[in-house]
Amino acid sequence: MTTPPNRFRRRVPVSAVALRVLVALLYVFLLAPLVIIVVISFSSNQYLSFPPTGFSLRWYAELPAETTFIQGMQTTLITASITTLIVLLIGVPASIALARYEVPGRGAISAFFLSPLLVPSVVLALGLVLTLGPLGLTNTYQGIVIGHVSITLPYVIRTTLMSLTTADTSSEEAARVLGANGWAVFRLITLPIIRPGVIAGGIVAFVVSFDEAVISLFVAESGKPTLPVQILRYVADSADAAVAALSVVLILFSVVIVVLVERVMGLRRTLI
Amino acid sequence: MSTPKLALVDLTKRYQPGLAPAVDHLNMEVEEGHLVALLGPSGCGKTTTLRMVAGLMDPTAGRIVVDGEDITSIPVHRRGMGMVFQSYALFPHMNVAANVAFGLRMRRLPKSERLERVRRALDMVQLGYLAERETKALSGGQQQRIALARALVVEPTLLLLDEPLSNLDAKLRESMRGEIRAIQQRTGATTLFVTHDQDEALDMADRIAVMNGGLIEQFGEPSEVYERPRTRFVAEFIGRANLLDATVVADRGPSGADERRYDVQVPGFGAVGAVGAPGLTGATRTMLVRPHRVQVHCDPGASGSPGTVESVSYTGDSVGYRVRVGDRAQLAEAPTDGRIAAPGDVVRLDWDPASAYLLPEEEER
Ligand SMILES: Nc1ncnc2c1ncn2[C@@H]1O[C@H](COP(=O)(O)OP(=O)(O)O)[C@@H](O)[C@H]1O
Ligand SMILES: [Mg+2]
Repeated sequence: MTTPPNRFRRRVPVSAVALRVLVALLYVFLLAPLVIIVVISFSSNQYLSFPPTGFSLRWYAELPAETTFIQGMQTTLITASITTLIVLLIGVPASIALARYEVPGRGAISAFFLSPLLVPSVVLALGLVLTLGPLGLTNTYQGIVIGHVSITLPYVIRTTLMSLTTADTSSEEAARVLGANGWAVFRLITLPIIRPGVIAGGIVAFVVSFDEAVISLFVAESGKPTLPVQILRYVADSADAAVAALSVVLILFSVVIVVLVERVMGLRRTLI
Repeated sequence: MSTPKLALVDLTKRYQPGLAPAVDHLNMEVEEGHLVALLGPSGCGKTTTLRMVAGLMDPTAGRIVVDGEDITSIPVHRRGMGMVFQSYALFPHMNVAANVAFGLRMRRLPKSERLERVRRALDMVQLGYLAERETKALSGGQQQRIALARALVVEPTLLLLDEPLSNLDAKLRESMRGEIRAIQQRTGATTLFVTHDQDEALDMADRIAVMNGGLIEQFGEPSEVYERPRTRFVAEFIGRANLLDATVVADRGPSGADERRYDVQVPGFGAVGAVGAPGLTGATRTMLVRPHRVQVHCDPGASGSPGTVESVSYTGDSVGYRVRVGDRAQLAEAPTDGRIAAPGDVVRLDWDPASAYLLPEEEER
């Protein structure tokens, strides 16, 4: 590398400093709410307020007794897990069909699968209530899962399609010539090669489903409230700081997922 | 005649209705144990032909016959072929041994036999020591040889190679030619070898199929294709060529088994000798003279047609000349031991009449 002439070198730090300040401000802006929640979770205040007047661990101690949270967590874990499973079972074969076979109207089908990303969730939620109601599926696990599958499918299809289109198809062809039938090619070649994309899609689907509030609220508020719904309700009528403690637990939960994925296969490789 | 190992009968592939076919009623027979090069410029349908033989692509029409049996409708995974792709296509998530073992695994061979055959296949390409390595870290030449071992370990009915050397650097390419040829002869695998490189084809093949626009222009031994091209295209694609317009004046008697010597009239050269098929007297034909058969005389008193040297290129092994004779430039390649002419010099060109060949009349296409 050649050194730039002096007169340029002088100016670079100014813009670099400006950039750093900007980035730092952005981080503060993004992270401040999280920091505030963590601080409140350790406060002795009765209500959600800032700054704290004293410190205590009482909100953490009370969490296990808060049955609405425990039940909400249960509902959320069940629906998010089933959603992830179903969305992978639909999304991966659909992506393979789109990427590897001459499907008539391929463009239209891709657009259809990706369209829920563009439809406002409120609209989707309303549509779901009107459809699921007559079928008796509101306020059930099935209802929530159907809603969540429709919003998470695009993520799985996108990440899987991405892996499929960047992978070299000739190794699949080499396997076929060597005697592998369609299923063997999928199991032994395609799936291992696209595994990072599939796992990334699965994680995103799980997290989106875990976090989703609008559809859950519309579809199953009274029957099977998920954790985000419970949190909304809780904040609406009691507003004490137990919610902050719960939030910290959820933050730790996501950190654990990220660390696990990073350990198992490298998150950067998964998401890019 | 014994049945050929492979016969292609009117094989045709049309990718889109309305467009010209990529492969157009192609007919070819390959003898057991031969290495046949499919040679032609990019886009002439070589890969398409190979993929149809492999079963990776359905022909629009025509048949593929192996050992007398029509396999056109047998799916790819039951054809028992071995194929090496241009990109090698090693399985990125498997180590070298698992790559080579894949075909045996699909054939459900017992593990002990698999291990033994993988070991032998890797020894054959001299890469036994890499068995446990990941494939990503290997060099192009190593990947290439592993792809070859993976294809050969299943003892394929046919070995199909799609430009296997084109991703290697020039030096390695030369040495891999010999290596692939030696392995092919040792295993006796009947082989279709796709290439756009005429040197590769001349060097390695038992037979060359010169393809152009989805058709085989000529099928024959390397020397035949080089010395007796059937068309202008073949003459120009294989090696360098001087192509001259010749009017055949008189028949001078037999030359070899089924050719005749003729006196011909060539603009700029006057009356010269040439050989060709019988019955050409009175006809006009394209005459081929390979540059290295042209003799360049610097001595002004020598025989031959005078011409002016336009450019000289010295390669060490030989000297290449462009010489203007009349209104056209001709190529000549001379040994470096004589006097080397300079641009602007007047030289005289001639050749042994037996090395000037009158091409057969071109068929209308
Ligand atoms: N999948 C395809 N769809 C449409 N046209 C194709 C396809 N593959 C090849 N072609 C066309 O068919 C012709 C022959 O291609 P190919 O067999 O790959 O030639 P080669 O291997 O001799 O370079 C080319 O004109 C190419 O553009
Ligand atoms: Mg090709």
